[in-house]
Amino acid sequence: MFSVILYGRNDTHGYNLHKRAAISFNAIAEVMSDPDDEILFVDYNTPDDHPTFPEAIHDTLTDKAKKVLRILRIRPEQHAHLKSKTHLVALECQSRNVALRRSNPNNRWILYSNTDMLLVPRVDGQSLSEILGDVPDGFYQVPRFELPEMLWEAAFDRRDPAGNLAKLREWSVRYHLNQVVQNFMPMKYDALGDFQAALREDMFAVHGFDESMLLGWHCDSNLAARLALYRGRVDTLIDKVFGYHCDHTRVAAANNKGRQTRMNDQDRYIWNVTSPYVQAQAETWGWPDVEIEEVRLDRDTSYQRFTAGLNAALEPATVPYTTTSLEWHLFDDLTYEISHTLPFVCDQMLTYPRSSSIMLVATRAEFVERFVKAWKAMGFVGPVLVPEECEGLPDDLLGLVRGSAAEFLTQADMFIFEFGLSTQRANECVRIGRMRGAKDKARLDVVERIFRHAASMESETRPAHRRLPRRFVGVNVIYNKYWPLFTDYIAANINPFCSQVLAGLPRADPSIRGKVLRFRGRHAL
Amino acid sequence: MLPDLATYWARRSRCVSGSGMLLKFSGRLREALRPRDQLFVFEKSSGRSEAEPEHLYLRARALLRAGDMPITISLLQQACELDPTFSDAIESQGEALDRLGDSAAAVAKYDLARRIRRRARLGAPDRHFVWRQQKRSAAEILAYTSVIKSMRRHALPYLARGNAYLVGGQSELALADFQRALKLQPASLDALALKGEALVGMGRYHDAMKLFDRVLSARPADFDALNSRGIARMAAGRIEDANADWKRQLEVLAGKSAPSAYIALRMADYDTSLPHLMRALRANGSDSYWNLYASAASLRLGRPLLAGAMEDGDSWPALLTALLNGRATADEVLARADTPSRQGEAQFQLGILAFDRDRASARRHWQQVVEVCPPTLVEYAAARNELARPGI
Repeated sequence: MFSVILYGRNDTHGYNLHKRAAISFNAIAEVMSDPDDEILFVDYNTPDDHPTFPEAIHDTLTDKAKKVLRILRIRPEQHAHLKSKTHLVALECQSRNVALRRSNPNNRWILYSNTDMLLVPRVDGQSLSEILGDVPDGFYQVPRFELPEMLWEAAFDRRDPAGNLAKLREWSVRYHLNQVVQNFMPMKYDALGDFQAALREDMFAVHGFDESMLLGWHCDSNLAARLALYRGRVDTLIDKVFGYHCDHTRVAAANNKGRQTRMNDQDRYIWNVTSPYVQAQAETWGWPDVEIEEVRLDRDTSYQRFTAGLNAALEPATVPYTTTSLEWHLFDDLTYEISHTLPFVCDQMLTYPRSSSIMLVATRAEFVERFVKAWKAMGFVGPVLVPEECEGLPDDLLGLVRGSAAEFLTQADMFIFEFGLSTQRANECVRIGRMRGAKDKARLDVVERIFRHAASMESETRPAHRRLPRRFVGVNVIYNKYWPLFTDYIAANINPFCSQVLAGLPRADPSIRGKVLRFRGRHAL
Repeated sequence: MLPDLATYWARRSRCVSGSGMLLKFSGRLREALRPRDQLFVFEKSSGRSEAEPEHLYLRARALLRAGDMPITISLLQQACELDPTFSDAIESQGEALDRLGDSAAAVAKYDLARRIRRRARLGAPDRHFVWRQQKRSAAEILAYTSVIKSMRRHALPYLARGNAYLVGGQSELALADFQRALKLQPASLDALALKGEALVGMGRYHDAMKLFDRVLSARPADFDALNSRGIARMAAGRIEDANADWKRQLEVLAGKSAPSAYIALRMADYDTSLPHLMRALRANGSDSYWNLYASAASLRLGRPLLAGAMEDGDSWPALLTALLNGRATADEVLARADTPSRQGEAQFQLGILAFDRDRASARRHWQQVVEVCPPTLVEYAAARNELARPGI
């Protein structure tokens, strides 16, 4: 019957976002009763190494919410062409249009709302699907009622949507919450964007939201103006459903700078609108030709993919624990335990697109074998590119491609550099003062040279379809002789030694030293 | 119990409260004080008076704003008694009842208003979006008039109110609003197209065509303007040119059933129209016109009537369908043809019925369509195309 369209990103938009959103997802799912109903959450521009916002809070969502929730992930790379035109990190119109394009065509209605809303049917037990199934074609809004922060934060149980809706019914009377704020037509109400129900067919006819609105605010009013022209009426569902907004003004959100807030031009986008259509985007709205990843919380989850990868690559441990050491005199000892390190390497991969190709520059054959197994089992379909300059590594594994490093630099979406000892045996104790031999040194030198070159030339060798820097993962680069090297070139955090893994983007060091390092790197191969 | 209007006035004449002042100001006094005020444009147009439902509605909305629920409900009740299909008034009753705490009664009113709107026949699906809107729009006129009082230099409220006038049959008022919008936004092709629609509504087809020419020279694939120029051209007797616009509109629509069916019908191209009609009928069987037009197209093509053409019901299109399948007579149909549009629709179907056995009779019926029917109706264009064919 209806698709609810929400958007956001995995950040801290206002106060206690996680609780507000969990309450809202669960409450919206609770009032759905048609098998075609869905919540489309567009996760816009969350950094690639983060999970999407709903994944980050999945444990607080009900089974029903997980079942109806479809997450459409828009990557930073897909936002890159708009980055210079806006101060915002999440774009409403683009998000809502991407979801509209990909909404269930069986659904008659599209409901635009936000992740801090609770929709309460006035008749207890009635679903929003029933309500929308009963009303004639039109464009419907409801007024938004504010819910003081104390009430939703202190009294709501995230995983009890029915209880929360019951509380709202009681509070609305007890605490006089229900005040309708009228507004000029075509808006009809204040804060209209929290409930705008339009026919899916109408939204396609008017070309969705206006994607030239890049500065935030008034996207809902623009839609109201255009649909008011198109439909001739702005109707209300105030007799059927109340909408409550979890107030979050204790801390201002990123797009709220008081009177200094930058906004879309009201005159242009509301009062001087003359057409329901946005002809300029008639063929392009909602990015029809862009492949958008879809993430589900009820199947094929990141956790399931992660464990599938590790189960394929690792046997269970046979001892309660193993040991290593970060004592300073072991600085030159490059032994490390692959079985322990691999989960931390895989953890760096999982949030990236499955189609990613990865360049793996390594010394230890066992690492390559296990990583490739895990990579495939985690559902990645892109190739693992292993430079032929690296000797002693397997070349007959499914999904592994050998070729020149220079060629792979222009194809890879991210990089792994592994600094181990190729002569380390599988059952060898680690970090007990082992020195590297000539063979180890020769292979480490190759990895080092490719690393310096790749990091220095990252922007120049970036594939044509990419605008943003690529991620570098270093394996066995903490508290050993490759730690300074890796962090000279890569802006990595300080991580615990135990993980043996650092990751980050190439550093843009403007100092003389940085320039010298990059010069050396460019000529390292 | 709600007070009647006389009691109310007697009470108010002794003690004029805030809401009483509003009520007074919403009537003659305010008009006298501010004769140029656009708020009471209902009264200025079409000789409308205080006794008309729109006027009562207008006053009731002012009182609703002031919180005087009982008299609001009373006024709205009177408006609804005068016109039981006045959905805006019924919905406002719902709002007032809800605000009084009688939510059950309010819901009943809201539901009734929605049922009325659901039953209302919208404009043809191939026409400009403004003609596909609900025809009763008192609430919109009132609301946008209020906006205009605060924002005189912006186009949207003029366009929105102009649209409401236009679909309500007040083309002159619509034209004034569209002209104002064009002064504010001279480059707006959409406002220009709406002005063209108002001119079509006023029967000024040649003037309208000039505007649509300008719109289409800038936007050749504007399917709204293509349809409207086709109508204006057909009304002016330029049949070939009209059909050229509609053919182009068909191409632009790329197979959308409902509008494509209507466009092909305008061209009396039943072969093209029938598959679209059948698809539209399957998608929206509750609109009896799909059944009627599909039956007519089948019959005109010499094919058997549709299996589902035996539609029950007392609606006007159901009666016309009954005419086609022999369950109603021409006299019965013509007796209910109480408007020029209905007369045109009836004559068109009589022509379809007569076509196979008596071409001269069919011609006479279709000639009648052209004489009585508004050119915007699909039957008008179809009849003109039929008449233009050799041998008819």
